[in-house]
Amino acid sequence: MNWPQFWQYTAANALLGIVPAVAGLAISIPVGIACVRWRWLYGPVLSATSIIYAIPSLALFVVLIAYTGLSNLTVIIPLTLFSLCVLVPNVVDGLRSVPEPVRQAATAMGFGTIRRLVQVELPLAVPIVIAGLRVAVVSSISLASVSGLIGVASLGYFFIDGLQRNFNEEIYAAIVAVIVLALACDLILVLARWLLTPWSRKPGGRATANAEGAQLLQEQSA
Amino acid sequence: MITFDSVTKRYPDGTVAVDALDLEVPPGKTMVLVGPSGCGKTTSLRMINRLIEPTEGKIFLDGRDIQEANPSALRRGIGYVIQQTGLFPHRTVEDNIATVPLLNGWDKAKARTRARELMELVGLEGSMARRYPHQLSGGQQQRVGVARALAADPPVLLMDEPFSAVDPIVRAALQDELIRLQGELHKTIVMVTHDVEEAIKVGDVVAVFRPGGHLAQVDTPEHLLGAPADDYVEGFIGFDRGIRRLSFFSANGLDLEFDAVLGEDATVDEARRLAQGGSHPWVLVLDAERRPRGWVSAADLAPLPGTGRLGQVPLASVGHTFRPATDSLRVALDATVLSRTERAVAVDSEGAVIGVTSYERLRDAIRAAEQAADAELVQGAAR
Amino acid sequence: MSFFSFAWNWLQSSSQWHGAGGIPIRVLQHLGYTGLSLLVAALIALPAGVLIGHFGRGGFLVVNLANAWRAIPTLGLLILMVSLLGFSVLAWLIPLVVLAIPPILVNAYEGVAAVDRDLKDAARGMGMTDWQVLRKVEIPVALPLIMLGLRTGAIFVVATATIAAEIGLGGLGRYIIDGLATNNYGEVAGGAALVVVLALLIQFAFVGLRRLVVPTPLRAMARADN
Repeated sequence: MNWPQFWQYTAANALLGIVPAVAGLAISIPVGIACVRWRWLYGPVLSATSIIYAIPSLALFVVLIAYTGLSNLTVIIPLTLFSLCVLVPNVVDGLRSVPEPVRQAATAMGFGTIRRLVQVELPLAVPIVIAGLRVAVVSSISLASVSGLIGVASLGYFFIDGLQRNFNEEIYAAIVAVIVLALACDLILVLARWLLTPWSRKPGGRATANAEGAQLLQEQSA
Repeated sequence: MITFDSVTKRYPDGTVAVDALDLEVPPGKTMVLVGPSGCGKTTSLRMINRLIEPTEGKIFLDGRDIQEANPSALRRGIGYVIQQTGLFPHRTVEDNIATVPLLNGWDKAKARTRARELMELVGLEGSMARRYPHQLSGGQQQRVGVARALAADPPVLLMDEPFSAVDPIVRAALQDELIRLQGELHKTIVMVTHDVEEAIKVGDVVAVFRPGGHLAQVDTPEHLLGAPADDYVEGFIGFDRGIRRLSFFSANGLDLEFDAVLGEDATVDEARRLAQGGSHPWVLVLDAERRPRGWVSAADLAPLPGTGRLGQVPLASVGHTFRPATDSLRVALDATVLSRTERAVAVDSEGAVIGVTSYERLRDAIRAAEQAADAELVQGAAR
Repeated sequence: MSFFSFAWNWLQSSSQWHGAGGIPIRVLQHLGYTGLSLLVAALIALPAGVLIGHFGRGGFLVVNLANAWRAIPTLGLLILMVSLLGFSVLAWLIPLVVLAIPPILVNAYEGVAAVDRDLKDAARGMGMTDWQVLRKVEIPVALPLIMLGLRTGAIFVVATATIAAEIGLGGLGRYIIDGLATNNYGEVAGGAALVVVLALLIQFAFVGLRRLVVPTPLRAMARADN
């Protein structure tokens, strides 16, 4: 086991998984805000992201090769597009979950549109948005390992190498590493949500967790 | 001072919510807009802070057309309280209250101090400052809503059915709080409600709306009860307005009698002598502090030994008493109706008996008060 | 040269369309793997999801388990199976089924659990047995979500089947893997283009299926909820 290489590729996998989720979030927030403001936009946006989501990651990676060669971008761009399918609905649902009286009161008190978004609506949307982010990060980290097939560095390398050399330890180690990495990021996001929402720390947390769990499964709207 | 000048609100599908409304809101007073659903009262209210924009007409705030002001700036000078409170769930009570001061650039410490002041003003314990809205009861939440609206000391306060979502007991308490607050602060308040009782209780001026966005009558609660403009208003106000009007007449003018009153140390004989006078079928017995203990009748006295003390005799309950200094004729009438003896007992602030009233005396007082009120109405109309 | 020109050139060459390694055969193979795996996954996950939703136990577990499931790397799982079982049918079938189960299971559970309580009460009040309530009320109302679960499962299966070419499976992924091995980007691009088209066609098929299977009022309801 070439441990130094292993940790290096683990870091690479982490990068290839986390960057798409973050980039996806950065894109989804303005897109989601637009979809809430102009309702007619939401349908087409959802259709577009669903279509992309349906395409196997390997195929998309391969398409990108013609444009970005065998670099990290080849993996990051498709994974970012995938994450949009989860994140845009969650941003929209999160913003829509803000109770109407709260939004109205904010406007009536003299909040401008942007200030209201930043100080009231987005903070209240955090639980639902983070639920989507968890799905996006976990999926991205796991899917990034497919990059081993096109020779971009990630833990997927060890799957291929282990298969070719009949070296099972590598395969086990890499699988465990992917899972642990993904779940660790998941846990960090759960912690982040707990930190960012002091007002929702109350008994009956199970109900909230269940509602969030439901959010986790909204891959796409029908 | 808020002025509506021929304000109309028409929606794209043709519905007219408000139709050429002319209305003047007197400064420093509470004006209540009341009417059935769909009559345009809420629309009118929300045009004042430009949450809804009028289709035609102008609205003036202190002489200036509100269209000229920047909407956000305008709203920071107007307090707004709504039925569902709209408190920010993600901010503590004190930060909720401090919202507009913070928007206006105050530093956090100053804003929070102000928030605490307001909490005291609206009757909230200081210990609630760091709590979150969901941890408070409905009534407490609405108090926070009011405090938040008052935080930047706006001259105008808009209230949209603020107390409709709480139970009747809490609602009555909140209405009393509002009256007390207004007595201290003298804000220009415009309140919307569908409850005519609330309008009459809380309002200095009441504007009754008709379906379709027209005004039916604008008047003081007393005049509204005494002289409704037409059948619609009369129907809207509801029956027994005559009796409800009595709550605007003070009981101070009531003629009270003190003849058939004895202390508990008086003898049965003395009582019998009074009762047999004929005009006093009931005698009121007082305790050492002159507080009422109960009534005794001639029939009750008949079998008793003449030397017995009245304090030992079984007495009929006094029921409700009333305080002429602060209560209305309606309270006095109610006490009289409820009393077994058809007499109500008037007491002072310590509970000591001042006198006794009867239906006859009430009738005289009511007649006098109504004549005075009607004369005033005529004078007002003449003006 | 762009992706499209590579793919187009390769696809135009007639030799791709004939023979054992020809496009039609590969398409059928891909469809076969997809269909079989989905079927097996559905046979396991649909009853489980529906029953969990009906009895209302274990929902919390299901949802969190499904999220953890997503962390499993598909390529890793495939290769692991091969290293344990050799190049056999199970080596690819198990991962394909395993990866398809979570979306089908969770959506079935959610679909049934979300059926209006009042509706269930009314049905019971009319004298329906538990089993009848399930069959006549809960499942029909849950159909939109159940279909969504199957459709999502199909996405995962098609994607995994593509990757499974690495462990020797046929199907359209073969072109990509072989092309990568021989540095023939034309073959790679052609294969990827075919995969994209097939994946999208399968999605459209599901949309059509949904239209057939789910009664119109329920579709509108589901859309309103979303």
